[in-house]
Amino acid sequence: MTTIVEGDRRLAIEEAAARVITDPANSRVAARLLAEEIAAEAASCGVRSFSESVAATHAAGLVQDELAAFVAAHAAELDALVPADADDRFEYFGLRTVYDRYLLRHPETRAVLERPQHFLLRVACGLSATVAEAAELYALMSTLSYLPSSPTLFNSGARRPQLSSCFLLDSPRDELEAIYDRYGQVARLSKYAGGIGIAWTRVRSRGSLIRGTNGHSNGIVPWLRTLDSSVAAVNQGGRRKGAACVYLETWHADIEEFLELRDNTGEDARRTHNLNLANWVPDEFMRRVEADEMWSLFDPKDVPDLTDLYGEAFERAYRAYEEQGRQVRRVPARTLYGRMMRTLAQTGNGWMTFKDAANRTSNQTARPENVIHLSNLCTEILEVTSDAETAVCNLGSVNLAAHLRDGAELDWERLRATVRTAVRFLDRTIDLGFYPTPEAEAANRRWRPIGLGVMGLADVFFTLRLPFDSPQALELSTRIAEEIALAAYDTSADLAAERGRHPSYADTRAAGGVLHPDHYAGAAASPRWDALREKIATTGLRNSLMIAIAPTATIASIAGCYECIEPQVSNVFKRETLSGEFLQVNRYLVADLQARGLWTQEMRDAIKRADGSIQDVPGVPDDLRSLYRTAWELPQKALIDLAAARQPYIDQSQSLNLFMASPTIGKLSSMYAYAWKKGLKTTYYLRSRPATRIAQTTVAGSAAFTAAPAAGTGAVPAPALPAAEEAAAAIACSLENPEVCEACQ
Amino acid sequence: MLLDPGMDLTLRPMRYPDFYERYRAAIRNTWTVEEVDLHSDLADLARMTPQERHLINRLVAFFATGDSIVANNLVLNLYQHVNAPEARLYLSRQLFEEAVHVQFYLTLLDTYLPDPDERVKAFAAIEHIPSIRDKAEFCFRWIDSINGLRQLETAAERRQFLLNLICFAACIEGLFFYGAFAYVYWFRSRGLLGGLATGTNWVFRDESMHMEFAFSVVDTVRAEEPELFDDALAEQVTAMLEEAVAAELAFARDLCGDGMPGMTAEQMREYLEYVADQRLARLGLPTRYGTANPFAFMELQDVQELANFFERRVSAYQVAVEGNVSFDETF
Repeated sequence: MTTIVEGDRRLAIEEAAARVITDPANSRVAARLLAEEIAAEAASCGVRSFSESVAATHAAGLVQDELAAFVAAHAAELDALVPADADDRFEYFGLRTVYDRYLLRHPETRAVLERPQHFLLRVACGLSATVAEAAELYALMSTLSYLPSSPTLFNSGARRPQLSSCFLLDSPRDELEAIYDRYGQVARLSKYAGGIGIAWTRVRSRGSLIRGTNGHSNGIVPWLRTLDSSVAAVNQGGRRKGAACVYLETWHADIEEFLELRDNTGEDARRTHNLNLANWVPDEFMRRVEADEMWSLFDPKDVPDLTDLYGEAFERAYRAYEEQGRQVRRVPARTLYGRMMRTLAQTGNGWMTFKDAANRTSNQTARPENVIHLSNLCTEILEVTSDAETAVCNLGSVNLAAHLRDGAELDWERLRATVRTAVRFLDRTIDLGFYPTPEAEAANRRWRPIGLGVMGLADVFFTLRLPFDSPQALELSTRIAEEIALAAYDTSADLAAERGRHPSYADTRAAGGVLHPDHYAGAAASPRWDALREKIATTGLRNSLMIAIAPTATIASIAGCYECIEPQVSNVFKRETLSGEFLQVNRYLVADLQARGLWTQEMRDAIKRADGSIQDVPGVPDDLRSLYRTAWELPQKALIDLAAARQPYIDQSQSLNLFMASPTIGKLSSMYAYAWKKGLKTTYYLRSRPATRIAQTTVAGSAAFTAAPAAGTGAVPAPALPAAEEAAAAIACSLENPEVCEACQ
Repeated sequence: MLLDPGMDLTLRPMRYPDFYERYRAAIRNTWTVEEVDLHSDLADLARMTPQERHLINRLVAFFATGDSIVANNLVLNLYQHVNAPEARLYLSRQLFEEAVHVQFYLTLLDTYLPDPDERVKAFAAIEHIPSIRDKAEFCFRWIDSINGLRQLETAAERRQFLLNLICFAACIEGLFFYGAFAYVYWFRSRGLLGGLATGTNWVFRDESMHMEFAFSVVDTVRAEEPELFDDALAEQVTAMLEEAVAAELAFARDLCGDGMPGMTAEQMREYLEYVADQRLARLGLPTRYGTANPFAFMELQDVQELANFFERRVSAYQVAVEGNVSFDETF
């Protein structure tokens, strides 16, 4: 093959990538060109084989001596594990992400010292003791069937192998030294690519007396400002920005100011632009919202035990404090709930997470002193914390799309096998990981939680032609969750038999014979659960928690599938990442339209004009219209129902985004009340859409184009265009279908 | 009629509810300069080629004064003659947005150019860098063209006003700015200057609305007074756009020099002609060039963003939300 000049190849890559919408096959074309480019770059550093790449990264001081020795000792066997065509499985965006962010680079020249397959095999070797183990994990990763989370991909085999995704820190104690100590912990944890969840409920509210100085506290906002700056300053080695989410319980007297922290108006000294915000909501609050009652707000200094109580114990204490008149003030519960909904609509933040559902069913909360105080940055982890224990979770996700057999059904046996391998390697990360703080290490070794999740559910539904809101989709999604939980628990029981139970096993509900689905009526009806319960009664468990559905934003891009359990956001959209923007098109839709001879320039333009929706595009067959609805067009009730049905098999939680193009307080309050009633433990972002948009430049025929007269003869085109946000709908105004055009009437 | 002289204050009944809706939609998309993180761009700037650096510096110099010029015309000319309170509500909002843009580009300039002398030079570019001066003079000429008009009494005066309105919508916001945005998105398509691109996205969103508002004023006037839209006006509009394309092309030649892979003055000419055709078409005029869009990366501009929350701020959220708590709405 002739050598392509470097600049020409780059241009060819960009052009192929930009033509993905015309034909998704261009994605593979661009990926192949990029793979060549990467191989050439690595070769320029003398790297052609896997063993050469590890030698080079070791020489550059990037990987552990042990890894280098292991690879050198088994060079031929390991090199032979890489199939020549393995890179062909990548879509362009996935490979680009790997290249821009994951491949190890020379510290000075910044040239890559490994190819994509070398990277995956290096990650596998970093978690393995033998070639056979490495081969097993690498086989899953290179077929994009399973990927560990980004911190493991970044750091496996590295000198400081921080492999964990999430850290959950208890609220600092209500004293100066404790608060500053927490800032330090957050900074150290952030530095190594972990996402931070931190509660702030124990810190006294505004106006509270400070005895030492006889002054009054300014409340939590100034502290959170400092946290905001601190998080922004730590840039995770340039690979991604630090990020944190602050949790506050709904009874804290600073709750209203807390809800305004992300507003883009008002006094900037009381805003935190980098922090995410989440509400840690007790059931008692939701009940009072429903009953339209008053809600009392407290200064935690006056009621220090409230945050350590849940369920009936919380309700008793809360009411007793009210009777004693300890509250700072009272507000109508609905007024506060309305403000929470407003914050969600305006900022997407202020996630609704439910304290009692989280605690009631957790395997870790068998003893009253073990309480979950918050979730994590992405609302899928629920683990107990205390001043001395920072909860940690190591994550990985199964790509469901890679477990379809002949495009017709799920290969259940292979899914179970993948889960078994995944659980073993997730368990191992607990022992191999480097922990930036002693509080994190202590907790992780005691509880040994892992978070196995999924991605590509939407791919499965598209392939099997199941609309998200169909009963078959609900049944399949629930069965997937149950199969994964069964296989994961079974593997953890095996691990307990081989290597011992996790040290705090006696403190778990499992030790008392209660598994997570047992908290949900009818969920553990299958005899397989009885068998498993019996097995665990003898073996115990190696891990206190096993299932969590993380958002998988980056690893789903690498795997080329839809994120976790999410529906598609649009049939045509772009991804913005640190490496630029990339166009993505729903390749299932395109294949269907191509098969029917409908994937024309007109069709593409019409879908683009409609912002990726096909609902009002003329000429789209009805069966496709229903299947390829976007998240904005699906009833959100269906997403909540799917989540609620799988909840019994998710012993932690799920990052459940909800979508509403134009939210109102009424719709949101109905939706979140429903989510709470259905027993969801957490929800994640509320996604809404901009009220105005950028005019499109590359779609022929904007609103009045085709309807306009041919020349400046004084004829009258549409005098009043529809409101800006409806402009997309006005494409109906065209000569092809004048009967639908209302703009010209 | 919309261009009748006077100071109409009546909002009920409302003659042009569409303008009012545009005003409300604009408010829902309020953004502030503080939300944009420009510092992440500094590392990119440091590793650019001298040619790319030159392009950026010229671009920043253009941005430094561009929105101020638009704001001035709005105050001096548009607000005075568009006689409907709901339309003036929109223009007031637009004026605020122009102010935010001016602040954004000032912040950009302060961040990108640490040397105070360089900053002074950027603002002075309008006087001594020919490619920028020519564009500014084009703008000033059209501002001045109706400076003496106190009231739009005659058809000729109304046509003069329409030319000014169309010039600012189609040539300045709709062509000069579109050209400038294309350079930004070219950088972004290569993963560069993400901070500038984020702010530009929001500016671009606003400018799109300004342009659409101006065009709907044109549509309204055309519905009310079709006789104003004669062949002579059509010729003048086409000639004005041709002149704007030429001015912007000269700017492109200055910026691109001998060209860079993926961005040459020749491609920019095609792009500008393509955009100019769209403006003509929007105005109901025959297209002039028939050129295709050469920039594949601009396709990215037309599709919805899927913000990855680890990496960018989510700019998609709405500011004003309505309604009361209830439990039985469908969702």
